[in-house]
Amino acid sequence: MDPLRQDEFDSQACGSMAPKAKPCPRPKPGEAAGGCSFDGAQITLLPIMDAAHLVHGPIACAGNSWESRGALSSGPSLSQYGFATDLTDSDIIFGGEKKLKDSIDYIAGRFAPPAIFVYSTCVTALIGEDMDAVCKEAADRIGIPVIPVNSPGFVGSKNLGNRLAGDALLQYVIGTGEPEPETDLGVNLIGEYNIAGEMWDIEKLMNSAGIAVTSRITGDARYKEITWAHRARVNMVVCSRALLGLAKEMESRYGIPYFEGSFYGAKETTYSLRQMAYLMNDREMERRVDRLTEREEARLSQELRPYRKLLRGKRAVLYTGGVKSWSVISALKELGVQVVGVGTNKSTEDDVRRIADRVGDDTEYIPEGGASRIIKTVRERKADIMIAGGRNMYVAMKEQIPFIDINQERHKAYAGYEGLLRLAKELTYSLANPIWKLAASPAPWDKEAPPYDR
Amino acid sequence: MTVNRRKKPASVNPMKIGQSLGAVLALQGCYRAMPLIHGSQGCSAFPKALLTRHFREPIAVQTSALQEMDVIFDANRNLEEALNLVLSKHRPDIIGIIGTELTDVAGVDYQNMLKTYKRERNMRGGLAFSVVLPDFRGSLESGFSSTVESMIDEMIQQVGHRGQRSVNTRQITLLPGSFLTPADVMELKEIISSFGFEVIALPDISTSLSGHLLTGFSPLTRGGVPLDSMLQSLQSALTIAVGGSMERPARRLHNAIGTPYKVFEGAMGLKATDELLHFLHQISGEPVPLRYCWQRENLLDSMLDAHFQFAGMSVLAALEPDHLHSVSGWLEELGVEQKALITSFETPLIAGMEREVWVGDLDDAEVLGKGADLWISNSHGIAGAQRTGAAFMPAGFPVWNELGAYMSVSAGYRGAMEWSNKAGNLLMQREAGSRESSVRHR
Repeated sequence: MDPLRQDEFDSQACGSMAPKAKPCPRPKPGEAAGGCSFDGAQITLLPIMDAAHLVHGPIACAGNSWESRGALSSGPSLSQYGFATDLTDSDIIFGGEKKLKDSIDYIAGRFAPPAIFVYSTCVTALIGEDMDAVCKEAADRIGIPVIPVNSPGFVGSKNLGNRLAGDALLQYVIGTGEPEPETDLGVNLIGEYNIAGEMWDIEKLMNSAGIAVTSRITGDARYKEITWAHRARVNMVVCSRALLGLAKEMESRYGIPYFEGSFYGAKETTYSLRQMAYLMNDREMERRVDRLTEREEARLSQELRPYRKLLRGKRAVLYTGGVKSWSVISALKELGVQVVGVGTNKSTEDDVRRIADRVGDDTEYIPEGGASRIIKTVRERKADIMIAGGRNMYVAMKEQIPFIDINQERHKAYAGYEGLLRLAKELTYSLANPIWKLAASPAPWDKEAPPYDR
Repeated sequence: MTVNRRKKPASVNPMKIGQSLGAVLALQGCYRAMPLIHGSQGCSAFPKALLTRHFREPIAVQTSALQEMDVIFDANRNLEEALNLVLSKHRPDIIGIIGTELTDVAGVDYQNMLKTYKRERNMRGGLAFSVVLPDFRGSLESGFSSTVESMIDEMIQQVGHRGQRSVNTRQITLLPGSFLTPADVMELKEIISSFGFEVIALPDISTSLSGHLLTGFSPLTRGGVPLDSMLQSLQSALTIAVGGSMERPARRLHNAIGTPYKVFEGAMGLKATDELLHFLHQISGEPVPLRYCWQRENLLDSMLDAHFQFAGMSVLAALEPDHLHSVSGWLEELGVEQKALITSFETPLIAGMEREVWVGDLDDAEVLGKGADLWISNSHGIAGAQRTGAAFMPAGFPVWNELGAYMSVSAGYRGAMEWSNKAGNLLMQREAGSRESSVRHR
């Protein structure tokens, strides 16, 4: 644990709603990486697929960010539309509130969404637009919820943005509706964004154990189902510790017990399913979960056999945010892959503790970003593969290091038992690809001795 | 003819890209450069992610990581800190400081700060300049050309006082517009140099974003035009600008040091390429190389082959201004109906076009281009094309649904041929698809 510095521990308060002693660490100018709070708020709320998401600000905030994430929808796609008030010079001088109001009316009239989320940006926050008032007035007038999300980019990190989005859900959405009478109540999945369709794999598993999903917060969600999230019997916080505050608040407000879990790796998946059944306090369900997980694990271990053989002893450097830093370690361990380096810059103190539980003493912690730092670890620890987000993908390609994308832009679902098998396959394909040998060998004319001494 | 706007309060499915992204793109074409965005973290994270997705290359960019209180009290403290760190850690040859709408609205004066900084540190040898690019004006194209202009300004200032300019009569400075792919820039460099000229492209993304295997990763740009070549370009006998937006930087060179310039509005299609080659032939006195004579015939033959396919077809194009202008010229040669032309903002080139152009977004494209057979736009247009039943041809920025988009050529005869074939194939596949769907299997 000694390579860890105080900064990492300081960041623990970012995720919780409780009063905190220290603010999130300030990003370092000239060395900062990653998105802003506006980005974080969008990540959390955009997967509410049938809602309209309107960005109040100049064009780039919306224009540079829409359609950038791999959160899939099983039906409506309005959330994939890019809406922006597209402020101009004169709007900024005379105020953009009129334009915002007109935009809300226009969207409501033309697309009839169940709700409109309105995001503030640095500029609208700076010039002091009263977004809350405009939204409230609009909601009263047009008769659908218009929800202000006050998370301009400059208030802080992506993580803080997740949390602010959670606050908006608590304040304006959760508890405003009631489930339809025939709805089977069960678990809220909090912080699962259906990247590459992972939610669907998880939902299938839960359903086969007889556990219903009450509200998806927010992967592949519909606005209405979040309004009745307060009726769920259990909350599971899947990813993004920033939304832990949401679960805590729901526990104190509505008495819903919560737990933190993950679906990366067979063991974690089994644990999460068991935990759901346990907290639901339903013996029969627990038995069903036991039977299901036993069957699935047995089948999986059979199917994994050929891949395990190839992957045993391989070394990986893992660089990812928050919860995934420890949960993916478990998944890799089950495949026999040793994690020799792990990023901790977005992890909280609890995450770091969990990482320490799961890795050996000689694993290197990478406390802060910078591609050079990751690559150094890969080289020094003789790693075979790098597992990180899309931003670092082409960095790895330049260094000719096999790579797996684990973050939000990826196209492969790695959750659940099926997901672990998929991860094993992807690791194998990546490591065994002929390109690594081809790229490393010189052209034939470069192999020959030079004809003359130059 | 006319430039129109549809009346609606919100932008729906924007195609406009923030100006600062254009600046980051321009700086990628300079060797060992670091664009530094003066704004909040997202102002650099979004462009970085988007450029990475399009070019499938690491993108060099840094941020002053402004937070609320920094903006209110002293934003330049962050900038200074960022500069200190970048300079000491990476030693870039070129730093471009890019002001955002955030610093603009807050009224931060970083230009003066940069001057003082440079004076105090006695910064010499490198190139450090700033450019103000708020997102509520212009788009990618204007951000790109303004950055090139500021870069040229700084170059002139650095060497300007050294007295009489010596002219290298065999050297040409190429100012390629933002709509040209790395492969396009390469093609133009080859065309010009085939007439016996040395070419310095400014910026030169053909050697930085074209997918080279230079070993190792660097947080600075790899490839691109090195600083000494950039400075050497001030001795060129001529500037060739491609794209209307590049006229201003060309004029800047002319006004300051007297380099004559020639602007080509585009380099796509038969006529545009004819014009370029004829001009090069005239100024060099060299014959047009045989391979371009061949390519010209190849192009004409492929257009003959494809003309059945294009007969009666209609196309909508939604692209940045210069790009739209050149694509429209090429469509003219194919003899297709141009159902709707949409662009991100108004420029003199667009205002002077003989066709009706709309300033708007991809939603406007969907409404105005309803019934078009082919849809040409960036990858954001896929869904709209599907909804309207048009064949989709990705072009412009960003393109993420196609491998190697950044290596596709549109310039020269070869480029026009490639595009004609691509568009024709898409229409052919669409036709085949609609025939197939009429058969139902049990």
